[in-house]
Amino acid sequence: MSWTGNRTAILLLKLSPLMLPFLVLFCGGVFLTVCQSLGLFTPLPHTGGLVDAYAVILSDPSFFASAGFSFGVALASAAGSVAAATFLAYRVWQLPKKMAGAALVYKIPLILPHIAVAFVVLVFWSRSGILASLAHALGLIQSMQEFPNVLYSGWGVGMILAYTLKGTPFAMLLILALLVRFDVRQIQTAAMLGASKPRIFFAIVLPRLAPALHTSFIILFLYSFGAFDIPYILSESRPGMLSLHVFDLYFKHDLARRPEAMAILTLMFGFAVLFIIAYSRTVTRLENGVRKL
Amino acid sequence: MKRSHPAAHILFLVLLFSLFALPAGILVLVGLAPGWRFPDLWPERFSFAGIEFLITHRDRIAVSLASSFLYSLATVFVTLCMCLTPAAAFARQRFPGKRLLEALVLTPALVPPMTFAMGLHMVFIKLSLADTAAGVVLILALFSYPYMFRALVAGFQTMGQGYRVCAGNLGAGNIAIFRQVELPLLVPAMIAGGSVVFLVAFSEYFLVFLMGGGNVPSFTGFLMPLLASSNRSLAAILTLIFLVLPILLFFLLDWCLMRSYRKKGMI
Repeated sequence: MSWTGNRTAILLLKLSPLMLPFLVLFCGGVFLTVCQSLGLFTPLPHTGGLVDAYAVILSDPSFFASAGFSFGVALASAAGSVAAATFLAYRVWQLPKKMAGAALVYKIPLILPHIAVAFVVLVFWSRSGILASLAHALGLIQSMQEFPNVLYSGWGVGMILAYTLKGTPFAMLLILALLVRFDVRQIQTAAMLGASKPRIFFAIVLPRLAPALHTSFIILFLYSFGAFDIPYILSESRPGMLSLHVFDLYFKHDLARRPEAMAILTLMFGFAVLFIIAYSRTVTRLENGVRKL
Repeated sequence: MKRSHPAAHILFLVLLFSLFALPAGILVLVGLAPGWRFPDLWPERFSFAGIEFLITHRDRIAVSLASSFLYSLATVFVTLCMCLTPAAAFARQRFPGKRLLEALVLTPALVPPMTFAMGLHMVFIKLSLADTAAGVVLILALFSYPYMFRALVAGFQTMGQGYRVCAGNLGAGNIAIFRQVELPLLVPAMIAGGSVVFLVAFSEYFLVFLMGGGNVPSFTGFLMPLLASSNRSLAAILTLIFLVLPILLFFLLDWCLMRSYRKKGMI
């Protein structure tokens, strides 16, 4: 074997512990999802055409309602988390050293599982919850029914709250990792030259944080879009999140409807991949237009 | 920039606490006061009914906790084995298609895990991996390895090539370099990646439910029906266990790490 050939072989060998599971399990898993959506390899022999399942789904208005709803919940919670995390992380970074230790409490929701965070939202925001009691004590409401029906408003507010509570510390973690390497002198210089606080934040700090903001936005958005745990506890009846729709089709209906579940999953996967590509392209294009310091 | 008034800082800390620590505090109250109802702002009376339930059902709780703990640790170990040599290659070598490959191997953490897990489910059933701990660990590792990978790549990059070259010049073989030089230096990166993987695995409900099928006990699986039930007190106590256990684990790890560093005179 030639010298370069040998090197390539060693490289492939080094990469194989990761590449084999990736190709076999991940790509294989996605491939099987796609196959089953077409009616191939399904537990029950599929008698219809290849794209029957897609035809059923795409002619169902409730699918589009669910997809739009999932998109909205994901967008609102990811944007809310990233915005809140930017503000909170920036303020944590500005804390004097003595107080910085106390700020570590922000990590609590990171440790709690999603289902527990959903439970916390339930305890706080339900009509018999803590906030309703607080509103009553403050004289804002007289009875339970007067408290706004946050959890069952039909807008997914409960899920958005839970995802935001869980996502904010995650985004803070990524943002603070960038902030600790940030040079304070840049801010001091700008302040000496007369820049106002908002201007310093938007013109100097925010552009530096951009990579962390984008990464956390993509991760949080796609997670909320397709995850199951929080909707399972906080979902409202209609329109439901796509993941719940899939879960129902997969577990609660007969096997003949398996291709439909898989078709939704295939569409979700395609959407996620397109979203990642489109988002990173847009970011690159925007950043190329910005003058680098 | 550190000119802000101290009161502003304290006010901010209050905000931070009420956002992130208050929920845990409220859970303690809910756990100790099963009869706490609207419109009481403070529970009328406390009881240990929740704790008593905990004690009577301690076997099932202990089994599900231990099971969650073990399969999460196994997931950390599997992701470590998957990522160690590829991370070294990614951190040190240049090869064609590296950026694309890096983006590709990170996708399992981004796309909804349902999309590949449900496709795999049928194969796992055929291979008798479904409803086993091995199946659960595999699917969790597949979903969480990107965190380990990123941490290890960063670890190898910070370590640099210097130690490796130096040890090589002093006559150490590849295996000796790896075991005695690189592995100890990588411990912080492994812990960073491992903690995330552990938390992801420990707190996952759906994938464990899908692949474990009720055969693999899990703490999330134990907790789920209670969260939806009317017994909030019990759910709150179990949620607090969820919070305390990983924190204890991280403190223990940190302490062990510091001790071993001190022994070696590294700090």
